[in-house]
Amino acid sequence: MRKCAGLALLAAGVLAGCSDSTQPPDRQATTIAELDGNSQQGLAASTLSAPLRVVVTDASGQPVAGVTVSWSVGACSGGVSAASSISDANGVAATTFTLGPVAGVQTVAAAASGLAGSPVSFTETAIMTVSGDSISVAAAVPIPANYGMHDTYVRDGLAFAFAWNTGVRIYDVGNGMAGGSPAAPVLVGSLVTSGSVDDPDPSVHNGWWFHNPVTQEARYLFIGQEGSGSIGTSSRGDIHVVDVSDLAHPVEVASFHHQPVNGQPAGVHNFWMDEEHAVLYAAYYNAGVVALDVSGTLSGDLSARVIAEIQPGGAGNTYTWGVMLAPDGSLYASDMLSGFWRLRLQNGSFSVLGGGNNVPERLTSDLWVHGGAAYTGTWGTRGANSGNQVKVWDISSGAPVGKTPVTIANVGTVSDLEVSADGSWMAVTTEYGGGAGLYLYSLADPLAPVLIASYPVADPAGGLHTGTIASINGRTYVFAARDPLPVGPAMMIFDVTDVVR
Amino acid sequence: MRFAALLALACCTRTLVAQTSDELNVGLAATPVFTHVLPAPGGAGAVNQVNLVAPWIMLDGSAYEGRLRLTSMVNFEGATIPDGVPTPGAWGEGFVDRRHPHTYAHEIILTASQPFAPEGGNGVSFAMGKGFAPFGSDDPMTRPFLAYPVNHHLAQILERLVAVAAVRVGPVTAEAGVFDGDEPTKPSDWPMLSRFGDSWSGRLTLTPVYGVELQGSYADVASPEHRDGGGLDQTKWSTSARAERATSAGRAYGLIEWARTVEGDGLFTYHSVLAEAALRGQRFGIAYRYERTERPEEQHAGEPFRTVRPQLDNSILGRTRWSIHTIDLDAAIADRWPGIRFAPFVEIAAGKITSLTPAGFDPMGFYGRDTFWSVSAGVRIAFGMRLHRMGRYGVALPAMPEMQGTPNMQMPDMGNHSEMH
Repeated sequence: MRKCAGLALLAAGVLAGCSDSTQPPDRQATTIAELDGNSQQGLAASTLSAPLRVVVTDASGQPVAGVTVSWSVGACSGGVSAASSISDANGVAATTFTLGPVAGVQTVAAAASGLAGSPVSFTETAIMTVSGDSISVAAAVPIPANYGMHDTYVRDGLAFAFAWNTGVRIYDVGNGMAGGSPAAPVLVGSLVTSGSVDDPDPSVHNGWWFHNPVTQEARYLFIGQEGSGSIGTSSRGDIHVVDVSDLAHPVEVASFHHQPVNGQPAGVHNFWMDEEHAVLYAAYYNAGVVALDVSGTLSGDLSARVIAEIQPGGAGNTYTWGVMLAPDGSLYASDMLSGFWRLRLQNGSFSVLGGGNNVPERLTSDLWVHGGAAYTGTWGTRGANSGNQVKVWDISSGAPVGKTPVTIANVGTVSDLEVSADGSWMAVTTEYGGGAGLYLYSLADPLAPVLIASYPVADPAGGLHTGTIASINGRTYVFAARDPLPVGPAMMIFDVTDVVR
Repeated sequence: MRFAALLALACCTRTLVAQTSDELNVGLAATPVFTHVLPAPGGAGAVNQVNLVAPWIMLDGSAYEGRLRLTSMVNFEGATIPDGVPTPGAWGEGFVDRRHPHTYAHEIILTASQPFAPEGGNGVSFAMGKGFAPFGSDDPMTRPFLAYPVNHHLAQILERLVAVAAVRVGPVTAEAGVFDGDEPTKPSDWPMLSRFGDSWSGRLTLTPVYGVELQGSYADVASPEHRDGGGLDQTKWSTSARAERATSAGRAYGLIEWARTVEGDGLFTYHSVLAEAALRGQRFGIAYRYERTERPEEQHAGEPFRTVRPQLDNSILGRTRWSIHTIDLDAAIADRWPGIRFAPFVEIAAGKITSLTPAGFDPMGFYGRDTFWSVSAGVRIAFGMRLHRMGRYGVALPAMPEMQGTPNMQMPDMGNHSEMH
């Protein structure tokens, strides 16, 4: 903040030194002073409602016209309508200020060479929400502190909370079956799934509730077990299939265990489904991407259901976090080591259509694809770089082309992101650092996200691990998994309707 | 002002107990130290810091002719080094490349002993309280170096609620203990009562000749890195040979140890080999340590010196091996003020980092280089009783040379040199 102000003053001084000062012959300007427009507050990246104005006077305090005043902005990425303006008959010179995109104090300096009081500093504040259009917390549902909660899947007014060794917990958040709502979720069922042959803990991490458009059934819930792993080397955990025909009494009916890869165990992470064709795509860390046929009745061992698999980055360079199927049939994959890939499953095998090895400086986390744009998160630390960026990709012409990323200040990990169904905004969850929390971006320009609101959590050692967008009874929510610190894990339900409408 | 009050308390206490048949001893210590470490994580140059480490008050007492003994230490590192002290390679309790502060209640143990005979040391004992599980080697605090070895969390189990039974017959001592598996994550943490008994360890010690110890130990520790209990379990092995004796050149000490921790039923394995030796004369001391230890590389919590606690999953970035040479030189200054001992020291360490899983963690990327060095210079200040040996209780605490009135008993120990003085 001080640095910003200092830079502004310095820049103003330099500019002032180069500017002309036109003095009326009968009045010698001696002083410049603030008139108004200081200490305003506005939404980041918006134009302040009132202009910034200074007044130029002579030794007797009379206004002096015709004096050039230079306006300069601190290192805040904001902008002024005019870099210089000339004082009018009242001695007033003015400009308007558009705040930079980052919340916090931002400065503008007005300078006139040789005048006392120069430069005049204006200190404005950019905020992330405006009154009445803020993110509100509809509910915070405590989750037993048994490693907490990792992910949420919301569909048909039901929220499936994947709560590690507490298992999966199913809440009515507007379905009607138990009278629940986002403000008052009602637990309707739960299940602790089994472990795997190489990891006995349930480690319930994520899931997908399969709605089969052919049979009209919504019978199976696929659950990912995230066992222990070493990035780039090994992982553990199976896919567990739960029959949720009776939501109050879910039953595990099948599982899939991946055999070791290059002598190392392989475990599952995030899912995506091609429901029309009954194909489950699973990111499988060091095993890459696996496609499973989940048509028909599922029971017992699903080893024979493998359609295809691929290590997009190759052995030793593959640790796939997530997958997502695009309407054109492309399967996009985010890989912690080898970046963002475009794949395709065709004739029983995967092929690489483009991308890969395109995020060498950071570890890649989650992904989302919408239209001609895609977004990937970043995780932890790679080299000297923190996972504080959202990578923006142009995928309109085939292979992903990286655009200017979004950097989020004071976070250590961008753990999850999701674009709204209409593509107009994006929810991003972050962890570890003073900025950890929920961020909402406008995608008016899909390749240049603009921050429109944020909701910080209180502790830099925690944050929000994942976020899922849901529309329930005409309102828009983000269901988020809150980390254990500072007050315990919870399923946070944010009402963002007023922000994104 | 507070330190002066503590000194006064210690003086009074020592005076009072001198008039009783049983012992009650108080000691105070602290070590102001300047540390320079190169490189800093993140490739941001060097770290230079001044810290006050190991500020502690120790109170030991005994009654019933030594059959009931209290062993205690309050450690104020939570106040003086809340962000740890720069130590290349150190890890654990959510810190990385900084040695974590100890908990305020570092050790509070009550031990009941019953000798088999008036002489000889044979007998049984039972210890309970907050302290060390019977596993591995002595706490680094009581050894000749300021910098803790990388293997601290592989070779010792401490700050737990423990119940330890021990029996000693001739040269053989057997110990078994149960405790809570959870590691503390901040100085104010206490062991989780609900987890007491979920972990156990045993140690067998052979003392073939006077001053020489051979030990082998095993531990089964439930979820040490996740306090609520959902984390990976560990099995740990340790074996070491320790020797200490008086020589014409001064007190000689040596330790060779091997330790191994297996986590997650074999998914992660960490090994350590360490050898250290010291020779301390009347005025000067020199100590050297070499260790080669593997450690986990964990997800950082938004800054280079902290890792995520509580852990959110059981994954790591990878494993690295730290090979470190450390040399410590110190001098003992004769009592300038009654009872207060000073020992200026300088300690230099240099080493190399090797990634065992380069895909997940590359030291060249994180540190900007794969070699490092550090230098620490400071003065150990102590008053009152000398630091007791940490890690053993009751009959498992063999009589060692320093207990036999060797000439160097008059040397001032400075907090972490108790065996050597």
